[in-house]
Amino acid sequence: MKIAVCIKRVADSETRVKIAADGKALDEAGVKFVLNPYDEFAVEEALRRKEQAGSGEVVVVALGPAAAQETIRAALAMGVDRGVLLQVDRIPADGLVVAQALAAELKDGGYDLILCGKMAIDDYNHQVGPMVAELLGLPCVTSIAHLELQGNTGVAEREVEGGIEVCEFPLPAVLTTDKGLNEPRYPALKGIMAAKKKPLDIKPTALAVGGLEVLAMTPPPDRKDGRIVGEGVAAIPELLRLLREEAKVL
Amino acid sequence: MLVPAQYQPPLPLERLILQAGAPGAGDRMELDVLIVGAGPAGLACAIELARVARAGGRDLSIGVLEKAGALGEHSLSGAVVNPRPFRELFPELKDWEFPFRAPVGREAVYLLTARGRLRLPVPPTMHNSGNYVASLCEIVRWLGTCAEGLGVNVFTGFPAANLLVDGARVAGVRTAATGLDRAGQPQSSYVAPNDVVARVTALAEGTRGLLAQAYLEWQRVGSENPQIFALGVKEIWETKRPLDTIVHTLGWPLESSAFGGSFMYPLEPNLVALGLVVGLDYSDATLDVHVLFQRMKTHPLFRRYLEEGELVEWGAKTIPEGGYYSVPERRSGEGVVLLGDSAGFVDVPSLKGIHYAMQSGIFAARAIFQALSGDGPTAARLAEYDRLVNSSFVMHDLYRTRNMRLAFKGGFYAGGLKASLMTLTGGRFPGRKIATEPDAEIARRVRTARAAPGPFVPDGRLTFSKVDGVFKSGNATRDTIPTHLVVGRDVTPELADFYSHVCPAGVYERTDGTLRVNAPNCIDCKATDVLGPRWTPREGGSGPKYKRM
Repeated sequence: MKIAVCIKRVADSETRVKIAADGKALDEAGVKFVLNPYDEFAVEEALRRKEQAGSGEVVVVALGPAAAQETIRAALAMGVDRGVLLQVDRIPADGLVVAQALAAELKDGGYDLILCGKMAIDDYNHQVGPMVAELLGLPCVTSIAHLELQGNTGVAEREVEGGIEVCEFPLPAVLTTDKGLNEPRYPALKGIMAAKKKPLDIKPTALAVGGLEVLAMTPPPDRKDGRIVGEGVAAIPELLRLLREEAKVL
Repeated sequence: MLVPAQYQPPLPLERLILQAGAPGAGDRMELDVLIVGAGPAGLACAIELARVARAGGRDLSIGVLEKAGALGEHSLSGAVVNPRPFRELFPELKDWEFPFRAPVGREAVYLLTARGRLRLPVPPTMHNSGNYVASLCEIVRWLGTCAEGLGVNVFTGFPAANLLVDGARVAGVRTAATGLDRAGQPQSSYVAPNDVVARVTALAEGTRGLLAQAYLEWQRVGSENPQIFALGVKEIWETKRPLDTIVHTLGWPLESSAFGGSFMYPLEPNLVALGLVVGLDYSDATLDVHVLFQRMKTHPLFRRYLEEGELVEWGAKTIPEGGYYSVPERRSGEGVVLLGDSAGFVDVPSLKGIHYAMQSGIFAARAIFQALSGDGPTAARLAEYDRLVNSSFVMHDLYRTRNMRLAFKGGFYAGGLKASLMTLTGGRFPGRKIATEPDAEIARRVRTARAAPGPFVPDGRLTFSKVDGVFKSGNATRDTIPTHLVVGRDVTPELADFYSHVCPAGVYERTDGTLRVNAPNCIDCKATDVLGPRWTPREGGSGPKYKRM
């Protein structure tokens, strides 16, 4: 079983981020970067599939700056066999450009399965996985929360509003992973040690010109202070009135 | 009166010290040198060792275990740093290439009253010309990256939980398990402890190091005085008004029977680090360092900078303050050395420890390399580390100020007078050692309910609650982990109250006269480990996530 996992280096969600002076990007000074949490599910799933199959290879592919090597090493420490960095100065805003670069790398790899996180926690785009599938002409199931593989067929479950959707698909395929699919492992001491010696191929990458440009980034408005309406049961009618008339949420 | 030691559980030596090869471990890893703790001491040791090994044509496997999830996330200091060991470690670099913020410019020391202030001359021990304002988190991240570049393995997220021994020899450590549920049972994400064995283990766990304590107690290594501690609570603020001076204060809000003071340093003109440090030998059982610090910020001296600004980080840490007489009589043994804060290399009068910690790491590296090149890391060969430290500026500096912190045991004003005489006489006054007792042995005054101060109500703008603080420390510890704090039996309501005041992170609460322990709040400051419940490690990556502390 040969599996590729597309991963992304993103700012840690616990980091306090600031908008850079140009107003169009994050100021990266002092920001901690991590492996995108949804991609961790993809890495974990790939490792489990390989372990179950008893043989095979798991390869991670990242598009990003030189510092993304650290993100790849984190995946290698979890047990991934090798990494490829498509090195660019900065990750473009247009997901299609990213998908094109990834698809070009994956095209002739002979992969049985290509996994991506369902989205990156920095841009919330949900685009790259399905776009890679389209560019490669492969079937795609997004946001999977459960996966069964049998020979050249797979069955994935997606948690949709009010129920579960079950999809059957042929391999090779592109799947994007959702929370709940598995519980990603912690890297072991030996895994961290071994990760240093695993192959990491750095490929300087020229990107196509994208069709999207970030014009401005603005922080969300400050949350207003809470208000104590009153105490006990007597306060409920007033609370309901305020929720209905002032906050307009009811 | 309340004597905390009467209620403190003993150090669980039988759990902390394991025979090498004891069952219960998953993986086993062998190294030449294992360093416990990626702080300034441990990383300086790793870097120097990698360098001397490379220069000597030897390939040593060096590993550093760190309990924080990422480099620097458990490191906290003021800090104004003496660059000396950086220059020794990196002779090819210039000062501006080191991870410092700005050279110290103007300095001011004030004696505060509730509303006013009196500017004092800067005491000779506190002159900082030539030193740099820095963030210890940033220093640690930088040192860690240097160490990794030299081939050192830095394992973040792996707390050392037990000392592995073979006879009197330290053989390595066992790490803490990961993925236990509240009852201590493995859940699906469980990872068993790992045994990391090495020819030499360097304990650089920082202040109140657990395994360093265990080693000293197990081998009955004494010191002339017991180690004593202070607790510092620190915040970082983005301010509207720039600060260009490093400020230290004495006096208010501390009563004169407590020893301590505050600091306020500009990391950038509009990014200010400030904190309050109080010796844990205070006599009032209701003293609460976090609350005092919050009150302190309402003083005009601080308020004028902080008002309209924003709190960005909060944290707390203890500091070993005993100085010269509290340093263990030996900091080396069969297969082991103790570095930095774990050995007590802190000079209180100059408010410095980072450069001593790093220097001790550098010396240890040299002694370890010699021992590994010769007939092995025997106690006799590693004793070279003690000789190097003893004949260096580290112990020389500590000797010169050997009684200064201890003089303040008699109160602030008498202490100030005695300390001045000590400075004038180069440490010779009073001509003898001032003997001390452990902080936990100091009796505390318990006030009646009526005399106790009312609860502190933070305003959420300038002053904050402990829970706010824990949030701003970045602590996102899973709340289903088993408690890692060992509380004694028979906790009286008064004792529960006392613990709730000692702990700056709201771990201990008195509710309905009993003690409630909110263990996930813990930010590893070790204050109650000094005065009450014992601290043990929990799964890797728990605790605070400091960024610029």
